Amino acid sequence: MSTGGAPDLDSFPIVAKGNKYEDFELDQVMAHHWGRTLTQADNVTFSTATCAWLPLHLNVEYARSQGHPDTVINPMLILCTAVGLSVEDLSESGGPFLGIDDCSFVRPVYPGDTISTTSRVVAMRTSASKPGVGIVTWRTTAVNQKGEPVVEFVRTNLVAARNGSAVATTRRKENA
Amino acid sequence: MTMVDVSDSVLGISGWFEDFAPGQRMRHARAATVGELEGSGPAKQVMNTAQAHFNDHFLTGSSLGDDRIVFGLSTASLVYGLASQDTAEHAVAELGWGRLRFLAPVHHGDTIEAFTEVVSVEPGDFPDASGVVGFRHWGRRQDGVVVFEGERKTLMRRRPVETGAGTTGSGG
Repeated sequence: MSTGGAPDLDSFPIVAKGNKYEDFELDQVMAHHWGRTLTQADNVTFSTATCAWLPLHLNVEYARSQGHPDTVINPMLILCTAVGLSVEDLSESGGPFLGIDDCSFVRPVYPGDTISTTSRVVAMRTSASKPGVGIVTWRTTAVNQKGEPVVEFVRTNLVAARNGSAVATTRRKENA
Repeated sequence: MTMVDVSDSVLGISGWFEDFAPGQRMRHARAATVGELEGSGPAKQVMNTAQAHFNDHFLTGSSLGDDRIVFGLSTASLVYGLASQDTAEHAVAELGWGRLRFLAPVHHGDTIEAFTEVVSVEPGDFPDASGVVGFRHWGRRQDGVVVFEGERKTLMRRRPVETGAGTTGSGG
């Protein structure tokens, strides 16, 4: 049904995003899209929103007294961004985010640094209890503009199979 | 010898490496309600493209609840923030996390409270060197359900000598 001369919008094909379980293979390496320059605005917005009112993140004079050239970007923002950049490739069409292990903050990130993220498939199996669902584990590394690692971690997600019935009883689900 | 730096006057009196001991437990004083700023905001800010975090009609009828589900790392970041004054203010650097687990869904409007137990303290190699403090954190929803847990390691500064002059409390 259309109004005002609009065509049948429901007939438009969806521009699908994300990968299914069958799209992954062990040791596969994926360089994720976009990259992200983290600014002081990002750091201030994120740190204040999450109640991380720390001088190291928000008081440049204190940060300088500790030997830093600028405020230190909240490491949780680095971790969140590293995961965020990987979601379309790894978990957008997937299921619940099960956890993160072995997360190391390798070096500080400062306003103006640009991070980009790469992941390697380190484990994958189908779920015995949930047909049509796989469990995939990736090792993800984020590097700065010099190629130096800034954070590394292992992430595990449920991932829907191509002909899977999606996760649990969910009609449509994604929960990266 | 670690000398008192005037810049340290911005830090609280407590929270140096020496102030932590294994088994020490903390219920952090302030909880926070997850709104747009704490939930969908960070998910979009960090370019997490999963629309379940920012489309309020996407999960209608799902087992996770009808509304947007909060990005797990938004919750983890909020727990870090709520615990930060008591466990991170005197840090040299955050070293990392082990076993971050998302145990139950969080929705906008939920309130998250943070809890901490000190797991380990490892002095540095020489007397004034910063030491590593290991923490276990939990985030709990207003209905008593634990939604997040994780283990964190932080490199913590030692208390400078002559502390007292110029230090301030953290009340208010």
